[in-house]
Amino acid sequence: MKTSSSYTAIAYLFLAPALILMGIFTFWPVGFNTYLAFQDYSLADGTSTWNNFAHFKYIAGEELFHNALKNSVLYLLIVPVIQLSALIVAKLVNNKLPAMTFFRAVYYIPVITAISIAAVVWSNVYKYDGLLSWFLQALHILPQGQDGQIDWLGNPHIALYMVMLFTFWKGIGYYMVLYLAGLQAIPAEVEEAAILDGANVFQRFWKITVPMVKPTILLCTLLCTIAAMKAFQEVVVLTKGQSDTYTALFYVYDQGFGSNHNFGRAAAAGVVVTFFCMILAIIQFRFFGDKK
Amino acid sequence: MALGKNLRRSIALGGQYAGLIAFAIFTTFPFVWALSVALSADPSHIWDFPRSFLPTDISLMWFERVFKEMPFMTYLKNSTLMSFWTIVAVVVISVLAGYPLARLRFPGRGLIFVGIIATLMLPSEVNIIPNFITLRNFGMAASHLQEVLHLPDDWNMREWIGLNSYFGAIVPNFATAFGIFLMKQAFEQIPQDLIDAARVDGATELQIMWRVLVPVSAPSIAALAIFTLVNAWNDYLWPSIVMTGKEKLPLAVGVFNDLTGPFATSTSLVMAAIVMTVVPVLIFFAFTQRYFVSNLSGAVK
Repeated sequence: MKTSSSYTAIAYLFLAPALILMGIFTFWPVGFNTYLAFQDYSLADGTSTWNNFAHFKYIAGEELFHNALKNSVLYLLIVPVIQLSALIVAKLVNNKLPAMTFFRAVYYIPVITAISIAAVVWSNVYKYDGLLSWFLQALHILPQGQDGQIDWLGNPHIALYMVMLFTFWKGIGYYMVLYLAGLQAIPAEVEEAAILDGANVFQRFWKITVPMVKPTILLCTLLCTIAAMKAFQEVVVLTKGQSDTYTALFYVYDQGFGSNHNFGRAAAAGVVVTFFCMILAIIQFRFFGDKK
Repeated sequence: MALGKNLRRSIALGGQYAGLIAFAIFTTFPFVWALSVALSADPSHIWDFPRSFLPTDISLMWFERVFKEMPFMTYLKNSTLMSFWTIVAVVVISVLAGYPLARLRFPGRGLIFVGIIATLMLPSEVNIIPNFITLRNFGMAASHLQEVLHLPDDWNMREWIGLNSYFGAIVPNFATAFGIFLMKQAFEQIPQDLIDAARVDGATELQIMWRVLVPVSAPSIAALAIFTLVNAWNDYLWPSIVMTGKEKLPLAVGVFNDLTGPFATSTSLVMAAIVMTVVPVLIFFAFTQRYFVSNLSGAVK
């Protein structure tokens, strides 16, 4: 029989690759990022000097960063919309009728498409004479002819919402699958009994489905909230920040890898975003911590 | 009464399918349009809706032009190479780390597990700045080593592990909390008797893992591999930052750059390239889609 100290050695040996890689690429960046936030970093020679909170003072007064934060908060509007739609769609495909596997797979296609590739097609949908203008004109929501043709991604008042619509399209399948798992745990008898009692579709949805998948709703809402706060790849591939679509992380990306290569300022903005994500994480632990 | 009930039921069923079909149109219309445009030899109708959803003059000429005008095969090779090595690394690292967390008692286990799960809370996107600098340092260390050892100049070791290297574009994705968590869950399902029996027979821990746990957990490992493949294949942001040379770009980056840059002369050509990029993923997904559902369901429980 082996002693427990030899188990310790083996355990750490097996864990070593994961811990080393996570150390370098996940934990170290958090510390280094915080350090960089207080430094003027020169990309050319890799030197950095203390700058007495200059980056934080700068972004605290910069309108571009304020707008980016405001847009990230606006982005949270997408959370309830995705959750309600995903739950309804999951409910529609959660049965033994024909072709349900097909529909589930079709709804998942946007999730498994590369964001950059999907964005190329969507930027054509959003063109002024593209699919979206035509569709709304065909429904007579927009006036016919030139007047009804809108440059959806070029107009600062609506561009951010168009980016959000893209996020909705890309993400709903993911949450649908999570809800499907929650729905499949509900015994069929509960709903059958409600049908016998004469409850209609809406009553059954609000009084049975929603309460019974409440844990899944909480989980998905938190996942989706964190994802919405971190949204920026959509912006990179759709608008590149034009038309007032900066989000908080897009600001980080743009400061670091855009034209000015200001890694220190990007890191300072990143620290602000990390701080907000930490607050969300604490809320998440409050919700789920005691149940596990 | 019976008739009324049947009628009501078929109306409800019809409504349900109408909703399902409407939503299916919402999730697929961009691709249907792209396919139709890519197949049309005559591009004059592509902005003429709804006419453009049916191809005009079906031909494959735009697909042929994609091969001629874009380094499509280079991108495809890069994507394949990068995805393959990501899968190998993720599976090996997750299996190795999952085993002690699931089956061995040792000091620090709880702390390490909490630490790994805590990485899920960190906004990993913020790491792009420090990781970029880390990789640059890797590259400088490698080229320094090359000089010290007097290795031939044309080895260019800076681009083996630093910026603009395949390694650099995939290495931050190797150790994932999701993968380790999934393997830990899978290994916890295995009866202790099986492991005890192997231990009595004198098997080492590595043998127990490789001969007993891995074969029994094959479905979970397959699920992890499939999930990793799709993520690696679709990864856009990090490779787009790390890769500076066109010859090392994966599909998700290379095709995007070509299609939004100066080469994007014709929408038909763009859509043909899109279709060719999406179709391999769709074919793969068609065969493995049950894993996606079971995989995520496992994660919820």
